[in-house]
Amino acid sequence: MQPTMGTQQSSLVKEKVTMKKRSLSRWTETVRPYAYIMPALLFFCLFFFFPIGYMIYLSFHDWSLLDLSAMEWVGLANFQEIMLDSDFHLVVINTIIYTFGTVAISLVLSFFLALWLNRQAKIYGIMQAAVFSPHIISLVSVSMLWMWLMDPQYGLLNAILEFFGFPAYTWLADTSSALLSLILVSVWKGVGYNTIVFIAGLQSIPKDIYEAASLDRAGKLRTLAKITLPMLSPTLFFLTIINLISSFQVFDTIYIMTQGGPVNSTNMLVFYIYEQGMDFYNGGIASAASVVLLGLIGVMTFLHFWFAERRVHYR
Amino acid sequence: MAQVVLKSLVKDYNKQNVVKGIDIVIPDGSFSVLVGPSGCGKSTTLRMIAGLEKVTKGEIWIGNQLVNDLAPGKRDLAMVFQNYALYPTMNVFDNIAFGLRNRGVSKKECKVLVEEISEIVGLTEYLTRMPSQLSGGQRQRVALARAMVKKPKVFLMDEPLSNLDAKLRNQMRVELTGLHKRLGTTFIYVTHDQVEAMTMGDQIIVMDQGTVQQAASPIQLYKEPDNQFVAQFIGSPAMNILSGFQQRLLVGFRPESAKIAGVNQEAPLSDRAQFMKRGNILSREILGSDVLYYVESGQEKLVVKDDLRYLLQEGQEVIVSVNEEDLYLFDQESGIRLRQGINLKEKQKLAGGMT
Amino acid sequence: MKIMGRIALKTGEAVMLIAVSLIFVFPFIWMALTAFKTLPEVYQFPPTLLPESWQIQNIVKAWESGPFPTYLLNSTLVAFGVLFLQILTGVPAAYAFARYKFRGRNLLFALTLIALMIPPQVIFLPIYVEMSNWGLVDTLWSLILPYGASAFGIFLLRQVFMQVPDEVIEAARLDQASEWKIMWRIMAPMAKHVLVTFGLFSFIYHWNDYFWPLIMTNSNEVRTLPIGISMLKASDGGSEWNIAMAGNMILVVPILLIFFFAQRHIIQAFTYQSK
Repeated sequence: MQPTMGTQQSSLVKEKVTMKKRSLSRWTETVRPYAYIMPALLFFCLFFFFPIGYMIYLSFHDWSLLDLSAMEWVGLANFQEIMLDSDFHLVVINTIIYTFGTVAISLVLSFFLALWLNRQAKIYGIMQAAVFSPHIISLVSVSMLWMWLMDPQYGLLNAILEFFGFPAYTWLADTSSALLSLILVSVWKGVGYNTIVFIAGLQSIPKDIYEAASLDRAGKLRTLAKITLPMLSPTLFFLTIINLISSFQVFDTIYIMTQGGPVNSTNMLVFYIYEQGMDFYNGGIASAASVVLLGLIGVMTFLHFWFAERRVHYR
Repeated sequence: MAQVVLKSLVKDYNKQNVVKGIDIVIPDGSFSVLVGPSGCGKSTTLRMIAGLEKVTKGEIWIGNQLVNDLAPGKRDLAMVFQNYALYPTMNVFDNIAFGLRNRGVSKKECKVLVEEISEIVGLTEYLTRMPSQLSGGQRQRVALARAMVKKPKVFLMDEPLSNLDAKLRNQMRVELTGLHKRLGTTFIYVTHDQVEAMTMGDQIIVMDQGTVQQAASPIQLYKEPDNQFVAQFIGSPAMNILSGFQQRLLVGFRPESAKIAGVNQEAPLSDRAQFMKRGNILSREILGSDVLYYVESGQEKLVVKDDLRYLLQEGQEVIVSVNEEDLYLFDQESGIRLRQGINLKEKQKLAGGMT
Repeated sequence: MKIMGRIALKTGEAVMLIAVSLIFVFPFIWMALTAFKTLPEVYQFPPTLLPESWQIQNIVKAWESGPFPTYLLNSTLVAFGVLFLQILTGVPAAYAFARYKFRGRNLLFALTLIALMIPPQVIFLPIYVEMSNWGLVDTLWSLILPYGASAFGIFLLRQVFMQVPDEVIEAARLDQASEWKIMWRIMAPMAKHVLVTFGLFSFIYHWNDYFWPLIMTNSNEVRTLPIGISMLKASDGGSEWNIAMAGNMILVVPILLIFFFAQRHIIQAFTYQSK
């Protein structure tokens, strides 16, 4: 009797141990994917999700970077203030002009560049690289270089204008031309990226559609309007959104080239936020303006995903 | 070396019952083949043995160890995949040595073992090549070497030859059976090809719809199928199944055990022929030494395999006859073979043959 | 007539090609030319094309005008530090997203995609407050940590990892490789191409970045090259443009060199998001 009892007991114990082992291994398997995502997620939480929430919180407070412990709840006062502030109105208007100017000019130019440069010969490949090259250069260099080119007295651009008999232009020095000059620089830097993406879009259009169109005797313009443009519309939409988002946050060129001037004529959202927060210590105003910017970009992001989803469904 | 035992093994996928409680004993040192049409659960069963799929219910024993919750790497088995699954970023040597290193085998010993194995499978010259630089046959050998070098208790193979061309496949079949003889290890081999199963396995497990239909030696499967499914699955062309004289009964015979002769022809019909059908030849296929006749008899179609001595013409009226010992009777509903308690006379009557 | 027309068209296109390439390339050449001129020559109007005498020492002057070795070191540390962290966090996350089924996977991945779209410029203020609470403002950590995980990198790697055949991973598991080992020894090498592409993207982005170091740093010990270079521009307007351009050469030439040798990779890296 006794020995059987013993073995029974020991086998019971054994079973318990294996059960424990089993549940432990099951547990590690369940937790494993979360553990792998955890580090990345931790960074996102610390430097993305939490700051977004915190920023909204900050926008309801009166505070400054000078003394973070003295925060005062003010409700919507910050938003009211910027809504009534004529400087902020100007900033928003500037941002809108700059954004639409940059995006429209850049997209139109790059569309035609893409149509032109989308060819096999080597020279076109070199041209694509040349057009793209400003995109990977630091905005610091781009800004300083163009500041120098646009120097009203000694700059190369005015020398060229003069050479062809045109009057010198004021470029960054005048309220009437500074914003346009910034748009010009941004177009120069960004058009290459758009061109390359357009070319990728063009190349993904099946060749047989064009062959069918030519059999149907469609003219060049007609083919462009009825085939190329519609087939390119997802690319166009993507580029529009991406360009809008990046234009909304223009800062480096302003900071280096104009400091928002002359007379606030190039003051735009991120620069305004920077000045209010870092220079004028109006933390509340700065965070309220940031929330406005975040809202704008949020809408763009939503549109982007919404469109991407639809595209997937229709395919 | 170990025997593998599956006890009422069940696998559910999203509430779908893929493997429905199978019991198999795979004897130590056997070359066991799991065969069946696609979707029959054979691959799932193999993958459960490997530990790549979780077991829903039931037990898997390797040797005297219950392995249900053991990680795949700890089961002491090796697997050869259909598409070889070589590590594309490692050269042949590293591919073979990877498993050894993970087990903590020293570098020096690794080298000895890898070289030994590559000698056996003829890869010595290719050790520094990348998988992308090898032919299909060579990749297959790397996959084999990678499995062999670990000296596992059990080899699992999931349709390892189906990506090779016909000639290479035949050659590899011979090599694999040779390898099995030399190693004496348990092989569990999955295929959908019954010819491959018959030529390679010493135990064949026929599966359909998640259940084991029959597990037996190749000869037994061919001669004594347990049910209609096995009877029709094993053998090529498949067994003819005709409706019997009585309802609820089916009668079957293999194309190669039937005799065929023109109606008005003095054909060498056996005197013991008990079962005859009259019909017309729809078409014929000449295979070389043999010929297949596709015969229409009333509503039913059947196939007869004959040699080329008396070649019959398409459209000719013929009589097909079968010896009574070559007839198989099946229950129409369950498909189960009826073999007990029925004597020859009855069999003949049940079959509805004309005498 | 037809032939004449074609010749006219070809010359027209050639002129256009030259004009467009001048628009995009000549500013860089002008930067280089200015960098080698003397100050009086810089302020000559109309300007000369080639420098009268090549002032190689302008580069040295620019280099010595501030603690440039420190800037360079900081830029390198930040760019590589960020890349290192991004790969360290990105490979496991991408592996989990691509290869595991778990509750909340779609939600977590959607959150990652949102992080891909919203740029850090928008939320610099709360991050600055965070950093200053932790006492990390004006340290290299404030430049590296906020970029420790890249949604873009995770997105790219996930795409590659999803294409790896199941059997390869299963074979590795049967070979007793741990998941960690599968990740780094099997998956990561298979994503080599994408890792290089992403690495170039990340490196160039952080090498060029001006905004973040401007916000987070205010002492020379932790400043990066773009900040140092931008300080070559005197605020009063009477700039030494030759020195400023020479300084910018230090920033631009390495990137242009990388671009020259890895053109296709880089164009791919920067336009990948469009696919």
